[in-house]
This record gives sequence, structure tokens and C-alpha cells, in this order.
Amino acid sequence: MFTTRFLYGVQEQPSLQHLFAKTRAGWQSLLLLVKNQLLCRLSKNYLTTLSHVFLFSTFKNLLKGMSEETKPSVSSPNEEALLDLAKSQPEGFNNDDIKQNLPNVPITEVTGIINKYLKNGTLEVFKMKNSLFYKYKDPLKKSDVKGADSEEKVVYKIIEESGNKGIWIRDIRFKSNLNTTQLNKVLKSLETKKFIKAVKSVAASKKKVYMCYDLEPDSSVTGGAWYQDQDFESEFVDVLSQQCHRFLAQKWEDASKQGGGPLLIRNRSYATATDVHKFISELGISKVTLSIDDIESILYTVVLDNNAERIVAANGSNLYKIVNRFLPSLGIVKTTCGICPIANRCASTGSVNPKSCTYLTDWINY
Amino acid sequence: MSTVFGKVVKLILLERFGPVVEQVGSYLFQYGTNPLLYIMKYTELPLSKIKESLCILIKYNLVTFVTNKNENLANYTLKPDRILLMLRYPKYNNLIKKKFGDESEMIIEEVLQRGYWTASELILKVIERLKKNEQATSVSLVKDKFKSLVVAKYLVRMPYPKDDKPVPDLQIQDNELYIFPDIDNKILAQINAGAESMDKIPDKGIYWTINFDRFHQDMRDKIIVTAFTKKIDDNAGKFVELLLRQMYIRTMPWADSSNPVPILEIKDIIRKQETHKQLLAFFDQYVNVIEQDNSNLIRKAGEASGGSFQIFMKEAFIQFAWETIEQIVLEKYDSKAARIFRLVKSKKHIEPDQIQKLAMIPAKEAKRLSYLLLEENFLQIQELKKSNTNNGPNKTFTLFHINLEQVVRMTLEHCYKTLFNIMTRKNHEKEINKRIIVKKQRVDTIAMDMREKGAEEGQISDIEEMITPPEREILERIDITLKKLNTVELEVDETIFLLQIYLMYQ
Repeated sequence: MFTTRFLYGVQEQPSLQHLFAKTRAGWQSLLLLVKNQLLCRLSKNYLTTLSHVFLFSTFKNLLKGMSEETKPSVSSPNEEALLDLAKSQPEGFNNDDIKQNLPNVPITEVTGIINKYLKNGTLEVFKMKNSLFYKYKDPLKKSDVKGADSEEKVVYKIIEESGNKGIWIRDIRFKSNLNTTQLNKVLKSLETKKFIKAVKSVAASKKKVYMCYDLEPDSSVTGGAWYQDQDFESEFVDVLSQQCHRFLAQKWEDASKQGGGPLLIRNRSYATATDVHKFISELGISKVTLSIDDIESILYTVVLDNNAERIVAANGSNLYKIVNRFLPSLGIVKTTCGICPIANRCASTGSVNPKSCTYLTDWINY
Repeated sequence: MSTVFGKVVKLILLERFGPVVEQVGSYLFQYGTNPLLYIMKYTELPLSKIKESLCILIKYNLVTFVTNKNENLANYTLKPDRILLMLRYPKYNNLIKKKFGDESEMIIEEVLQRGYWTASELILKVIERLKKNEQATSVSLVKDKFKSLVVAKYLVRMPYPKDDKPVPDLQIQDNELYIFPDIDNKILAQINAGAESMDKIPDKGIYWTINFDRFHQDMRDKIIVTAFTKKIDDNAGKFVELLLRQMYIRTMPWADSSNPVPILEIKDIIRKQETHKQLLAFFDQYVNVIEQDNSNLIRKAGEASGGSFQIFMKEAFIQFAWETIEQIVLEKYDSKAARIFRLVKSKKHIEPDQIQKLAMIPAKEAKRLSYLLLEENFLQIQELKKSNTNNGPNKTFTLFHINLEQVVRMTLEHCYKTLFNIMTRKNHEKEINKRIIVKKQRVDTIAMDMREKGAEEGQISDIEEMITPPEREILERIDITLKKLNTVELEVDETIFLLQIYLMYQ
């Protein structure tokens, strides 16, 4: 493997872009890597973080695993065909499937190939309904095993299972049965090897969750567009909510200016989230790009503030319209007592009483 | 019946009837139904005074009585809700004035002031008053006004005793309630001219009193109409008004929902009235808009005779009660809290995590507000425990929810407290400025006296100048303060009315 060897030879920390652009042979190996799904990962990183610099040690680990698998896969077309079959059957496949898909391959060779794969961990075998099944194992997931001890493997596996939601250190401890100091050591080592990363959750500012290094954290962890460094940007939400309200109000005003009867006015004042999204994007008040779903949730706050109503249109999307309230301002909220924060402590005697109440006095003299 | 409510009742009695009646009333409020001697024993008032107080209270229908086991004794019961209505008297007057004019208002005013009266005496009194105001009038005009009030059920005949017992058993047949007695105009005119004595009135013993239910019905309808006017527009308000009017032909006034009303009837009325051209032109559209409004208070019942519609009173007041509480939360704890409150309302039961997510409020703030609302009893909490997990921490779900009826009752209590505070403050303001107010009154009476005797202008102004400019200023300020407090008192009563109607429908 040219790339592999090339990478081994490089002692500094090369950028990915730099790496592949350098040699023609590099590009060729790249194509080979595609077949082994390694590129998916590489290219993803490559595309999303062009300037990202890979630590050499990460690469070493990664490619060590890769070079062992890629070699046999290119060496024989039969082996490759079997691998393709394995990839196409994520639920697993048995000997009958092999016979059907690879009719020309003698059974002895198939056994040889499978044994080889089982040995290097590309396939795993399990029993289902009294027949043997083989399943493709992503070499990526396996790559961590290299250069890691058994504790690291266990911990990595737990973290991997948690997906992009991440997992809290306490939960890892419960699942792995490792003690705190040991676990901390393992986590630190995995972190330096860039297998995992710690992400601060918005749910609790001090709570760190661990997840695989290359995963994009779930919006429940980062909080989505409304969070910046674990802080909820309530001003931003407020402004957006106001603007959405303004937009709906404007829409209603325009509709009533046009006239044409109450039904027409009502129907014209409905707006979809897409309309509002367009309006907000044109305003340019948001520095992050907002999705339609984000706008929907903003609009829902307007609905919750009783300033708008939401109905479901015939095509299943939500429509929003500004609404008025039923009741005019109430008598009780016009008095100081109606909104008094210490009303519960108020009595005819004692320090809080209506005769000497400062709130009342201020209101009377206003 | 809470303490605060009792205090309000006490203040009203004190303000209108003085300390003795107040003492008797408070005793009855506190200890419930009681016979005369018990009242005497506990209040330690002389018997004659207690009797007098009870007479007054019974006259105004604030106390009722039933026979004891011993038929010679009566048990007295206070009607505190009825006492609270005394605050609403100006509103009743106003309502009648708008609907029927000055003469009718005077009739209602007199009845309110006296508790009950005969028709003849009332008519004569009103004529007398109108004469004082130098308004042209006649017996037949006032009588007709009176009659129309009876027909419209604003006035109702008092029950009367059938047979002579120590404790009278007051009864009345349902069909007698709204039958106006024959009264000869001539006799009334003669009495009015002074040719006959008062004893000659033809309807002796037939007393009339206010039918509060009828007034409340009007006030309820007004709330609904203004609500629709505010939510949609004037035309929609008009439509609902007519719908309510047509409803009475078919439905009991306090039914939860009306029987179906054919839409064509309403259209005909609008066509005849010619006041709402817009409504007539877009009639079908308005019907459509009102029907499809998300409040869902007016619904189509059937397609017969061009479509018929029902209005759901009970639901209307449930929604109004919600909105009232929401407004209170909004004013008291600001918009974020109101948002949380509405979210919990719409989701019925909701977890704290979801609150901050859906309401888009920072976690800390959301937690603070929702627990604040919990502390103030606007929200309730429901804990679900998963008991059969063997290892790990026991997981508990916390769910927020709202018990509207309980919140409404709490708010009602709060309203009573507000009333109490305002009234106390009012009395207090009067108390601390008593000297000046009394002085002003004295000066006013002297000045009026002199004017009647035909004194010179200079003398009168001399007397009037006895009130110094700073005193005048204080008087003006007191005047404004009292006016303000009175207005608010009436407004708080509106909220109380709304919430009471809600509870009544429950």
C-alpha cells in the first residue's frame, strides 16, 4: 500500500489535503481505500475540515488496521466479491447466500477466505436458527482495538454505543465496572489518541459527555442553533420571536387592507414557516443559518404567548395566523393587589397591611 | 366561605348598615344558621337592636329564615353572596339605564335601595323624583316602564305567606312570578294629586324585588359579545349578540349550551335592522370565520333550514377563565412565566425538560419560573416513581399540570382580598382626613342653608372661604383617591363575576 507506506514515512503531522495532493499514487490508493470504506471517514474529514491536521499517532493506528485488511481484498477478485456481499447484507448472511451470489467460486476457496476474514476481524460469525451466519464488521470500529488494552476497548465500546448523544462518565463507570482513577486514565489515553472527545452538554453545564471523535454531537447535547458555548441565547430567541410576531401582524394588516370579506382576510393572513423563514433570512438578523424546524419552534413560542394560532393545512404543514385575545385587560390586574408579590403575607394587621401599603400609596398618588 | 370573604362581607355591612348590623351579620357568617337567642348570647347586644338588625337584613333579603323544630322560633341564615352583590348596584343601574332609559333606572334604583316595594308606591315615588328633576312624565308612562321591566323579568314578585303562623312560610307559585297586577291609572293619579290617601293603593301586599339572575344573564351575554368583538370584529360581535338573543327563544338561560338556532333567522334580523351592512354582505363568510375560530365556541349543529348553530356557554367560560388566569400570570410573573403556563395548559402533563425545550427559555430560567409557579399554586406537580428498578438510582418522573378549578378558586380568594384591601384603604383615607371632610360638610350645609334663606352672595362666599386653599387641595386629592378606589372596586368585581360564572357552570 503506497499511501500506507507513504504515511509511515512521514514523521511530521501532515494535513490530509497536503498528503493526497502530493503524489499521483496517493490518489490511486485513495480509490482503493474507498472500497474499504476507509475513505468515507477520511474524505468526510477531508471535506468538512480541510485544514484539520491529523495527529500522526491517530493515522498510524488507523492505517495499521487498514493495511492488513486492504491487502487481501485487492489481491483476489473472489475475496472482494465476498466482501461486497458481506457489505450488502448488514443483517448477516449464510452459506446459501454465498452459493447464490458466488456460484463460480469453489467451496474450499470460500472457506479459506472466510477463515482469513474471521481471523483479521472483518467478518464475525454467529448462529441463528441453527445455521451459521456471517456478518460484516466495519473495520473502522475495529481500528480502535489496535494499540489499546482491553480496558480501553471496553470503554470505547460503551462510548461507541452511546452514538452521537454521548455518555456521561458516571454511566460509563456503572457499565464498565472500572474504578474512577482507572477510568479517568483510560479516558485520557483514548482522548489523546483522538478516538473519543469530551463534549460539554447544554443540559448541565458541568456535565461532560464522551462520544466518538468523528461524530457530530446531537442537537440535544449542543442545543442546536440556540446555543453558543453552552449558553442559551435567550435574547436572540426573543428578538426572533418578536420578528415572527411582527411578520404575522404585517401579514394580517396587509390582508385587511386588501379587503374582500372576512374569510379572504383570514385566509390571506395565514403564513407558513417557510414564509417566515424567508422573511427572517432577508432581515439578516441571524448570524447562524436557521432551519425551517428552528423557525417552527420559534413560531410555537409566539403561539404559546397567545399571539398567534396554529392550524394544520391540508398538506400537513402548519399554518400560523395572528389572533386577538378574548378578554380586555382585567380589573384584577389593574390593581396593585392583583399583581402584588407579597399578597400572601398581607393582612389587616402586621407590617404588610393595606393601610400603609407602599404599593397602594404609589398607585394612588400616581 | 373563607376568612377574607367574611371580612369583605363585614366591611360591606359596616359601610351600608352600621356597626350593629355588622355585628349580627358577622356572627351569622361565622356560626352559620342560628336562632335569635343564640345571636343575642354571643353578640351581647340588646334584644331590640338584634331584632332591628335582623329586620333590616331580612328586608334587603340578606338573611333568610326557616322555622325551627319548635314552630314558634325561626333560624336565621346569612346570604353572604347576596351581600357581595351590593357592590354591583351601580352596574345594575347602569345596565337598565342603557337598555330602558332614565325612568326604568329610577325604578330599579328605588327597589335596590328599599329591598322590595309595591308597584303603586314605586310609581308614585318615581313620578315625584322626576318632577323634582323637572322632567315631563305621566302615570301611564312610568307604569308601562314598570310593566316592561316585569315582562323582561328584571323585577320579580316577592314570595308571600299563605297562612298565619308565628314564623311565616313565604311561598310563591312559579306562574305568579311575573304577572303584573291591575292598577287603575286614575287612582294613582288621584293619590299623586293628593286627593286620596296612600292606603287606597290597589296592589297592597304585592311586593316586587330585583331578579339578580336576569341581570347576571345580561352581564354574561355582554362578556361573550365583547369577547367576540375583541377577537374578530364588531360584526362578529353583532352576530353573536343576535345568536344569543335568538337562543333565549329555545333554551333555558343558564343551560350549558344552546339548542340549535337557525342561521336564517339571524340573517333576517340583520336585514331588517340595516345597521350592519358589512355583516349582511359577508354574512356567510362571517359565519364561516366564527365557526372555524380555534376557540370552537360556536358550532354547526345541522344543515336544516340553511344551517343551525349552537353556542357553548360553559366552554366559553372555561376559556375565559383560562385567559383570566393567564393574564394574571402574565402581569404577575411576566411573559416567560405566562408562556410556561400556557405550555403546561396545552400539554396537560409535561416534564420540566420539555418545558425549557418547547418554551425556548434557558434551562435555569425555566426551572426557576416553573417552580415559582408551583410555589404560588398555579402549577401542580405529579411524581411518578418507578419502583421496581433493582439497581441504580430510582428514577422519578416529575410532571407539571394545572388544576384550573383550584386555580380559579384561589384567584377568586385573591380577588376578595383585593376588594378587602381597597375597601380598608378607602376607609382609612376617610378616617385620616375625617376632620377636613367633616368641616367641608358643615360648611356646605351652612352655605346651603343660607342660600335657601336668601342670604347675600358675599356672606355665602365668606362662609365658603372658611376652607383654606391647602385644605381645598387636600379635599381634591381625597376626592380623586376615593374615585380611583371606587372604580377599581367595580373593576375587580367584574373579574369576580367572570370567575363566579365559571364556577357556577362547573
